[in-house]
Amino acid sequence: MFRTMILIASLALAGGSLPASAATKAAQHATAPAHVVHVIVIDKMQYGPMPTDVHAGDIIEWVNHDIFEHSATARDGRFDVDLKPGATVRMTTVAGTTAFFCKFHPGMTGTLVVK
Amino acid sequence: MNKPLFAIAVALGIASVAAVHAQAPAAVSRAPAINDAQIANIVYTADQIDITAAKQALKKSRNEDVRAFAKEMVRDHAAVNAQALTLVKKLDVTPENNPTSESLSKGAAAELKKLAVLKGAAYDKAYVDNEVAYHKTVNAALSGTLIPAAQNAQLKSLLETGLKLFQEHQMHAEHLARQLH
Ligand SMILES: [Cu+2]
Repeated sequence: MFRTMILIASLALAGGSLPASAATKAAQHATAPAHVVHVIVIDKMQYGPMPTDVHAGDIIEWVNHDIFEHSATARDGRFDVDLKPGATVRMTTVAGTTAFFCKFHPGMTGTLVVK
Repeated sequence: MNKPLFAIAVALGIASVAAVHAQAPAAVSRAPAINDAQIANIVYTADQIDITAAKQALKKSRNEDVRAFAKEMVRDHAAVNAQALTLVKKLDVTPENNPTSESLSKGAAAELKKLAVLKGAAYDKAYVDNEVAYHKTVNAALSGTLIPAAQNAQLKSLLETGLKLFQEHQMHAEHLARQLH
């Protein structure tokens, strides 16, 4: 994933549905550094490629393309995201390396590295 | 569909389980493809069987782990079947009843009866053990027979995802079985 993909701070909080002009404005007026959104797609019973160059405070957007309910559950308990079929869920990252799995299908695993 | 092809379809269904051990090369070369309409029917039937068993478990079991497993079975297998039905409509094929799905249904009905009379921990153990065995059989049929025979790319892809899903279910059931023993 490229850092340039989506560049926003307040847009993420606003739910991502602002028109482009408002998004630009929001980005310009943001005082905090812009946080990048990294997308992780789940499809056909597996997590897609992990984003690289993720920094603390960046946003991970989990997108479940499957017809099954999944989760992204950290082994150390730092996050537990429930992902209904077709769901998109965002979370803010903290620094560290976290192994995670799906609660329902524990053979589904991944490791997220946040600098 | 003619009689001989039906007979072979049954043979395929059974061979897929045996294939793990050994299979005569002659049987492989003779094996014609089971058609997509039959495959759709077998998968749909197999899913329905697991959903019915899970619903029985939700009525009978008080074990939270068993109940969570059963809920997952209902949810995941229903999702596969919804997708299968959508696909069947799109492809404009009519699922064909066939000896493999018929024998699956028969076996399942007998198993439900057996489980119906059990209670408590004995029921939980029997249900979970059967889930392990059932998913093993279905997975062997998927990988050994149904996936290789599927002609339509979308059907094949659904079966492949289904296999990954059911392998997870098998692992989950095996884990649960160890817990209950
Ligand atoms: Cu999952």
